[in-house]
Amino acid sequence: MSDAAVTVSGLTKVFPVPFHREPVIAVRNLDLRIEPGEVYGLLGPNGSGKSTTLKIILGLVSPTRGRTEIFGRDSSLVESREAVGFLPENPYFYKYLTGEETLRFFGKLCGLSGSRLRERADQLLELVGLTNVRSRRLSTYSKGMLQRIGLAQALIHEPKLVVLDEPTAGVDPAGSCDIRNLIVDLKRRGITVLLSSHLLAQAQEICDHVGILANGVLVREGRLEELIAIENRTELVLENASDALVDRINALATSSNAKLIARRRSTTTLERLFLDATNNPKEKS
Amino acid sequence: MSNKTAGINRHRSFSLARVFAITTNTLTELTRLKVFYILLIFALLLIGSSVFMARLTFQQEFQILKDVSLGAMSIFTSLLAIIATARLIPQDIEDRTVYTILAKPVPRFEYIVGKLTGVLLLLSISMLVMSAMFLAVLYLREQTVLHETLRQMSAAPREQIDDALRAIRSSALNIDILPGIVIIYLKACLLAALTLFVSTFATTNIFTIVVMVVIYFIGHLQATAREYWLQEHSTGWMTRAFLALVALIFPDLQTFNLVDDIVVGAAIPLGLVAKTVVLGVFYTTIYTFLAAFVFYGKEL
Repeated sequence: MSDAAVTVSGLTKVFPVPFHREPVIAVRNLDLRIEPGEVYGLLGPNGSGKSTTLKIILGLVSPTRGRTEIFGRDSSLVESREAVGFLPENPYFYKYLTGEETLRFFGKLCGLSGSRLRERADQLLELVGLTNVRSRRLSTYSKGMLQRIGLAQALIHEPKLVVLDEPTAGVDPAGSCDIRNLIVDLKRRGITVLLSSHLLAQAQEICDHVGILANGVLVREGRLEELIAIENRTELVLENASDALVDRINALATSSNAKLIARRRSTTTLERLFLDATNNPKEKS
Repeated sequence: MSNKTAGINRHRSFSLARVFAITTNTLTELTRLKVFYILLIFALLLIGSSVFMARLTFQQEFQILKDVSLGAMSIFTSLLAIIATARLIPQDIEDRTVYTILAKPVPRFEYIVGKLTGVLLLLSISMLVMSAMFLAVLYLREQTVLHETLRQMSAAPREQIDDALRAIRSSALNIDILPGIVIIYLKACLLAALTLFVSTFATTNIFTIVVMVVIYFIGHLQATAREYWLQEHSTGWMTRAFLALVALIFPDLQTFNLVDDIVVGAAIPLGLVAKTVVLGVFYTTIYTFLAAFVFYGKEL
């Protein structure tokens, strides 16, 4: 079997609480396997252990028990991070650096230099749509722009795995849509994406696999379409259907022992309405 | 984008390029701090104003100038070392920038070393600026006194004039000032490394600064306390071990105070300078390793 992008086996993390008898168990006996090239959503309410799991995978926190691997390498080893790019929740980068300087700084940390680093910074500024503001300090960036420069720094060394902690938290619908499109683009390029979120509608749009954590325990796990499919129901969406046609379909269904449960006009999403109304502006200036 | 981490050299367990990237970034961060400029201007004003202080003879004038200037340099660099270093790691943790840095293939030891060398560079720059100001003031005053003496003694015999000029030169600018400046710098390096160590387990900047101020005072007093202790107690191995532990936690900062000898124009023995330099480097290295050790096990 080829190496999984991420393997988590028997992971438990206990945080001792001073002056309290009961320590906090953030993650309990967690097992995960994320295949290369898929978008995996780690979902759950606040405090369910998502961020702790991500931090352990990134070697920022050590596990109490269990083991995590990235492409077959123990994730507590610094070398394993060559294959990973990370965007933390609500990231604050050094505000005194410009967008371009930020990418160059993180690129140097990954061993890039010279023309190779310049090229990568140019490509990524283009990819995240920040070329026009590359020379502006981050203190003048909006939250959406910060999130995009954060994603760019995560990609600077061409990682095979990108870990995103609440990538769209606090970002407006337009910024959120940009990030979602970027994630879809990453998947198209064969990059594995592990993201944590509690924005379920978004996760539903982009994730192949999801795992739901509650109180540090993985309560559901599997392919998204299998998890949310309702076995005995089928949806038909018709265009230009007259009432008479729908009545005939209903009659046909009834004669076949099926039942028409809902009959309503298709609607757009509130997000689509918002984006169309605001013309989906990209923060390019 | 390819499916490989292309174009990047194989990971090395220690990379000067990575440390240098963190160092230059830390230096940029620190030079953005207003406190740095306020302290520097204050120290420069103090050095400059020492020219106008009361004096009776040129020896006294040069003594006061050196005393005030070296004192200002010592206090300023010590304060800067503590204030600048105390915020570095807690700020990075609070802003979560530390996550982004350590999620890259950067060993924690390199992060600590990069941060510290950023502070040491800042201290070097401020030390150079202050030394240049101090030496310029001293040189200008020396030239003024030389001209005045020449004018007053124009009728005196040649030998007498030469003796007077030699006396002025030896009490003003002389080579013994340089080791004094180096040792003030080393003391600041030691304090920066110790502050970094304290900040790896402190929860707030204020805690780190308060602990460092206490260590600073105890560090200056501990030599006296140790002598008193040794007079009162036996010198068994337990006493020595205890004193060694105290000396590790509270470095003997009085050892780095050679200003008094320099002020009176006394030559500092080379052996003493070498010993103090080795002690400064030793303490700085030990504290850096301790900081790296604590930070290595820290849950972020």
